[in-house]
Amino acid sequence: MKLLKSIIRPNKVDDVKDALAKLNIAGMTVTEVRGHGKQKGHTAIYRGKEYNVSLLPKMEIEVVVPDALADNAIKAIVQAARTGEIGDGRVFVLPVQETYRIRTGEKES
Amino acid sequence: MPLTQRGAQGSALRATFEAAREELRADIRRGAAGRAGVERYSERVDALLRQLFVDAGNCDVPVAVIALGGYGRRHLCLHSDIDLLLLFDGAIGPAEERFVNAYLTPLWDLGVVVGHQVRELREFDRLEADNPEFLLALLDARPVAGARPVFDKLGVQFHIATTHASILRSLLQLIGERHAQFNDTLYQLEPDVKEAPGALRDLTATRTIAMLTDPLLLRRGPADPARFEAAEDFLLKVRSVLHLEGGRNHNVLSHELQERTAEILGYPGAEARQRVERLMSDYFRHARIVNRSLEWARKTAPVPVGPNLGLSRDGIRFMDPVYAARNPSTWIGAFDAAIAAETTVSEEALSCIQQHVDRYRADDFFPEEADRTALLRFLKPRTGLYARLSEMHDCGLLGRVFPEFQAISWRVVRDFYHKYTVDEHTLLTIRNLERLTTTEALHRVRFRSVLADLPAPELLVLALLFHDVGKWRDDDHALESVRMAEEVLERLQVTADQRDMVLFLIRHHLKMSLAAFRRDTEDPEIVRQFAALIGTEERLKMLCLMTVVDVEAVSPDTLTPWKAELLWRLYVDTYNHLTQRYGDELIERNQAGLNELLAGRPQDLSPTEIIGFLEGLPQRYLQLFSSDAIYRHVRLARDIRPDEVHLSLEQKASVWTLAVATLDRPFLFSNICGVLSSFGMNILRGHAFTNPNGLVLDVFEFTDEERFLDLNPDAQTQVLRVLQDVVSGRSDVVARLKGREESILQTRSQGRIPTVVHTDNGVSSRYTILDIVTPNALGLLYRVSRVISQHGCDVDLVLIATEGERAIDVFHITKAGAKLTEAEQQGLTADLQRTLEGTAT
Repeated sequence: MKLLKSIIRPNKVDDVKDALAKLNIAGMTVTEVRGHGKQKGHTAIYRGKEYNVSLLPKMEIEVVVPDALADNAIKAIVQAARTGEIGDGRVFVLPVQETYRIRTGEKES
Repeated sequence: MPLTQRGAQGSALRATFEAAREELRADIRRGAAGRAGVERYSERVDALLRQLFVDAGNCDVPVAVIALGGYGRRHLCLHSDIDLLLLFDGAIGPAEERFVNAYLTPLWDLGVVVGHQVRELREFDRLEADNPEFLLALLDARPVAGARPVFDKLGVQFHIATTHASILRSLLQLIGERHAQFNDTLYQLEPDVKEAPGALRDLTATRTIAMLTDPLLLRRGPADPARFEAAEDFLLKVRSVLHLEGGRNHNVLSHELQERTAEILGYPGAEARQRVERLMSDYFRHARIVNRSLEWARKTAPVPVGPNLGLSRDGIRFMDPVYAARNPSTWIGAFDAAIAAETTVSEEALSCIQQHVDRYRADDFFPEEADRTALLRFLKPRTGLYARLSEMHDCGLLGRVFPEFQAISWRVVRDFYHKYTVDEHTLLTIRNLERLTTTEALHRVRFRSVLADLPAPELLVLALLFHDVGKWRDDDHALESVRMAEEVLERLQVTADQRDMVLFLIRHHLKMSLAAFRRDTEDPEIVRQFAALIGTEERLKMLCLMTVVDVEAVSPDTLTPWKAELLWRLYVDTYNHLTQRYGDELIERNQAGLNELLAGRPQDLSPTEIIGFLEGLPQRYLQLFSSDAIYRHVRLARDIRPDEVHLSLEQKASVWTLAVATLDRPFLFSNICGVLSSFGMNILRGHAFTNPNGLVLDVFEFTDEERFLDLNPDAQTQVLRVLQDVVSGRSDVVARLKGREESILQTRSQGRIPTVVHTDNGVSSRYTILDIVTPNALGLLYRVSRVISQHGCDVDLVLIATEGERAIDVFHITKAGAKLTEAEQQGLTADLQRTLEGTAT
């Protein structure tokens, strides 16, 4: 199993959700996050005064998928979240050792 | 009348009067001239006055003889003055004067000290606020003889809430002053039983406070009412003895009179000292009861805070609930007063409203212009507004004042996000706005500063109240809300500008969250579209705040710092777009939206003329001005020749609007600003536009601080003439400003608002943008624009705004048709900083 951790533009959450749903991936965790990558934020000016926008609002989507589905899922996310501009985000892929269902305590394969 | 007859009548009167006094003397000697004794004496005097009335003959208009003050209360002691009001229901002529003479002379003959007032009823149309003692005496008015209806008419005129409130204020002040004369202590060794703290005047004052505020007040007081009455009886007995022994209106219980009083009142004790001690300890006991009751009444009684409104411990009350029940236009004032006093509206007042509210229609709550203005003022966001609106809602008032709001009462709309009924969600938006006014929270403070800058935040509250009323139906609620709000605004008779703002906010209340949360706001095109929808900074500020409080009212967790950040970024980007980039978006000949303007044109304007005027002006122009204003501008610019200036000046409330059309020339903007400043005008807002043909249209809104335009009949002509002369170069503005140099040219910044001067070459494709934020001051624009012109720069577009004490000006400038170089920007910025900080040489 793989954990796909995607940092995307806030307005792309619905698109990514829909794309994953098409692959029958339903369970996911969505978090409002702030950060920067290469973009490193920028300077904004309000009424002549400069202020730093160093951390940009982003969304983080986490999904755990079977190894066999991982490639398609990554493709779906990248496709749905892409605008082609700086700031489109990242997908991190992490191996998952074990998962347990809390309600029953059973180990999932 | 024959003398003998008069003499016979006189002696009969004297005999009657003497008999009454002798009866009282006997009571006093028996130590029995307390309440009952002086009341009996009062009644004897009443009878005498009635007899005199019969004897005095007729007059032409109805007249009443009215007892006032102590006599009115039947506290008439042996040597008390007899205070009378002779009140005529009509003009006092010779017949009435004869009557007054015939009535009072026999009394004087008897040696009675009469304090008399002779008045016509119409004199009571207006309150004699400068004579509080007389007004207080009137509270004890009692008809003694003559026409009862005249007395009743006086009562109707006199006993009104505002008069009562005014009397109460005076009374509380008089008590304070009187107590101060006695060093604020009742424990006097030789007390004045009339004036001292705890004595008879305090006793009366206590009853008066209760009468004016809450008749049942004393039942809840610190002393059993029976003990309060015992104190009255005791004090009157003592005063009676003092009058008998002193042989005059003397009220000080001096050491020597204490012995005599103790003896007459039958205090036991072998020695005089013992009897006096017992008398005095009785005196202090009674005085303390009176004093404590008075203190309780002063503390507990409602303090008048408005017409028929009192502030008491349980909140704002109606002083006169019966009056309140009949006058629903006074109700909102109770809630306003509660906010001002940081308290609630009392349960009693809320019940009164609840009981009567169904009898009235919406218009009954704001029948007059002043009521409607007060209602709008009430809606200004501040601490307590939410709680008061909730009280109004709970007692049924809000839904009556605004039946449209009633439609969403307890309305449940099921969706994934909302946690509250629609009405409560609505009120919570207002609570959130109210909290923004004082917030110190990191992510909220910036919105607080936006709110603080709004000139009319009550319009935002009005929009919030109705933004979701359309949810009583299940389809597109924003449109239905707009329809319903139109009806409210019609009833409130707000101005067209106010109406447009409120409806705009309601119609688009979901647009900003949609753009911020669902669109890629880093895409300049998204920001451009959003800015095009919003149009002006004021609308942007209102919509931004509306969105913040609306999202926050969905549930406690909805407005995360993350979402707040997204909204803020969209706000800043849109603000910058609106103020800095509009010079790049020009009106084109075939652009959509012009058709309506052309279709509605007056007969004297042709489509060619209108388009010729508009083409090349920034798009922003169309959003700033109404069609009518645009037509006026087209006429103003008609047939303009070099060296001509076309001007128009008009006034709306306290704000004047000057429109100037001319062809561009150096120092034009600073010259106009200079002329306005030379007349003491304070420029609040303004826009300056230039089109590609060199036509300049400047529109200034200003206030006439020195009332020059108001006070001088030909002032308008004079201002326009000077503008003509200065702009066309026939006269020099610097010379005109000589006399004002001190105030205008040397005004230093006040320090609280730091001056910011910032230039930017990146945002606009054609202009260098100069942003200036600085404390507002007379002549500010003149000084700034003059520096710009001295640097050889052309002022192409200007936005002038003031927010409180802060001036926010954005200039779009070029030099020889191009943006300024880095060095030119630095030079200009440094010069402006020096000028604005008052360090220019």
